[in-house]
Amino acid sequence: MAAPEAKVAPSIPPSLSLPPSQFARLQPHAYLLAHLSPPPASNQPSIRANGRAPSQFRVTSANAGSLTHTNGSAVVRIGDTAAVCGVRAELLHTEDIASWSVSQASGSHKRRRLADLGKKSAEEDEEDEEDDEEDRAHIEDLNLLVPNLSLSTGCAPGFIPGAPPSALAQSLSHQILSLLHSTRLVRADDLRIWYQPPNLGPEEPERHNEDEQMDMDAEHSPTSESKPREIKAFWVLYIDVMIISLAGNPFDAAWAAVLAALRDTKLPKAWWDVDNETILCSDNISDARKLCLRGLPVASSFGVFEADAAAGWRPNVIPDAEEQKAQDQKRKKGSQQSWILADPDGYEEGLSQERACIVVDKEQGGKGKTVIMKMEKHGGWTVDTEELRQLVDISARRWDEMKRMLDQC
Amino acid sequence: MVGPTASLSILSRADGSASLKCPTTGYNVLGSVNAPIELPARRDALKPEEATVEVFVKPGNTTAGVGERYVEGILRSVLQKVILGRERGFPRRGVVITLAIIGGDAVERGDSYLNILPTLLQVSLLALLSAAVPMSMTFSTALLGVTKSGDIICNPSAAEAKAASSLHVLAFSSKGHLLLDESQGRFEFEQWESVRERAFSICRGMATPGADGDVTMGDGGDEARINGFICETVEDHLHRDYSWKIDSA
Repeated sequence: MAAPEAKVAPSIPPSLSLPPSQFARLQPHAYLLAHLSPPPASNQPSIRANGRAPSQFRVTSANAGSLTHTNGSAVVRIGDTAAVCGVRAELLHTEDIASWSVSQASGSHKRRRLADLGKKSAEEDEEDEEDDEEDRAHIEDLNLLVPNLSLSTGCAPGFIPGAPPSALAQSLSHQILSLLHSTRLVRADDLRIWYQPPNLGPEEPERHNEDEQMDMDAEHSPTSESKPREIKAFWVLYIDVMIISLAGNPFDAAWAAVLAALRDTKLPKAWWDVDNETILCSDNISDARKLCLRGLPVASSFGVFEADAAAGWRPNVIPDAEEQKAQDQKRKKGSQQSWILADPDGYEEGLSQERACIVVDKEQGGKGKTVIMKMEKHGGWTVDTEELRQLVDISARRWDEMKRMLDQC
Repeated sequence: MVGPTASLSILSRADGSASLKCPTTGYNVLGSVNAPIELPARRDALKPEEATVEVFVKPGNTTAGVGERYVEGILRSVLQKVILGRERGFPRRGVVITLAIIGGDAVERGDSYLNILPTLLQVSLLALLSAAVPMSMTFSTALLGVTKSGDIICNPSAAEAKAASSLHVLAFSSKGHLLLDESQGRFEFEQWESVRERAFSICRGMATPGADGDVTMGDGGDEARINGFICETVEDHLHRDYSWKIDSA
């Protein structure tokens, strides 16, 4: 049945008495193909069924800080896909961490050195390197970032109430967490709550006797000679993403929502109160400070639509990679065999098996070179080096767009 | 360098099975395939004209979590494309692949799954071959890490992978297509291109197809070619299976 329909497809309007919307449901593949490869005589441009060009993203909007009971929140809408993200911060006392004193003892030397360095900016790079290692250890081993994504009932048909989290929701949660870890977006230093034990009597006279040492100390911060400051607690960020409407490409929307919410997150000023032996937080909003994020990684997803839906099923026709390249070159002017669609909607996602996702960042707030943070593709063999290079360029352009939008929200 | 060791058809009740041990990363994975089997719940499958591929990954010391769901999704999408699910007897039925991680470091919550992904893919391929599931092509995988100084290391250990600035898993089909790319960390496109080149030579070697279509196997150098390794494993197994025939001839 499918074959004759596909032939009819390019000339839909005259020969078909069905309205386009019904045709789209009955023969989705032929419908999209007819849009992407219009007959040469009709002089129509190749365009997707939803009216976008192949590398065009949907209209994106973001709004931050709309939930008042969270530390940071954002709503991101990409076309008909909408994601809400709320960040809630809770305290984790170091005395509640089972292995804290042990792991502290082993790493104490380095920590003291770090504390000594304090705000000195001379050895920025070296410090950064060491900081990274500390960051990783604290954020990853203590699980200070806890993202969860839920695809709730009603976000798309097929999500039944009372069902356990679908495989899609679970794998998206994992992707968000592993991207948070691998991009090192959040600095562990923002999440630490320090305590500086006061310098009590006995040490004072000792100091007066050693004049030379005093001179050396002069350039250090005044606290450096006293007891080392210690971490009393951590902030744990619970990042909950809810997809309230799902129309394809949930990862981009979810990640953009996480990013916008983290940019919006304010942590109250917290300190260790010695008398009460507990952490106190300030009520004053002016004391709260924002997170200082590392970079701005932006995700772009792509789907590949193939002209011949069953191409992969016929074992004898799959040519070698080299041959295929040559064939493609020959065919350049003829009919295209596959299209890479940026930001696929639900309809297109159902028709594409091969997916690609690229997360890019630009150094120095957009002026530096493009750095790839994550690149993945699976499910087919259309996308190779050349295609990926183009996709990275498209993602870099998308980065500019997203940055402008996130700066405004 | 010690290459991986594999054995085929080691489970008697599954249609096909394989185990693979990778000495550098330390992972040991056991895989079984049942195909084609009836899936009672899937009578109204989304795509009735082809077989449903189901992948289950079981970690060594815990229950499967969100990380496993993610890696199952990747494996499914790669294998679904390679398995000929429209052959006779396959439509409306299922290909069930179960992979148990029986050795190596546990993958912690939120850790990247890239370390073990190549082994999982390799085992599922061998198990599918052992179950004689029709496939349009085979594939071979490589795990590469880029260190902070920019060197490319092949099959990094868990500690090396943690220290690496980026990790890459690539899979190439037996016909030279790039089937899978999973890259994580900070890198630039030029770096990725050199990683791809290196991975291609690890997977496929610099083999040149001979006049009769056979691939001439040169010496693989220090890195054993993965594609050749899979061929050898299957050849060895066939040799053992048909030893009665070969002996009598």
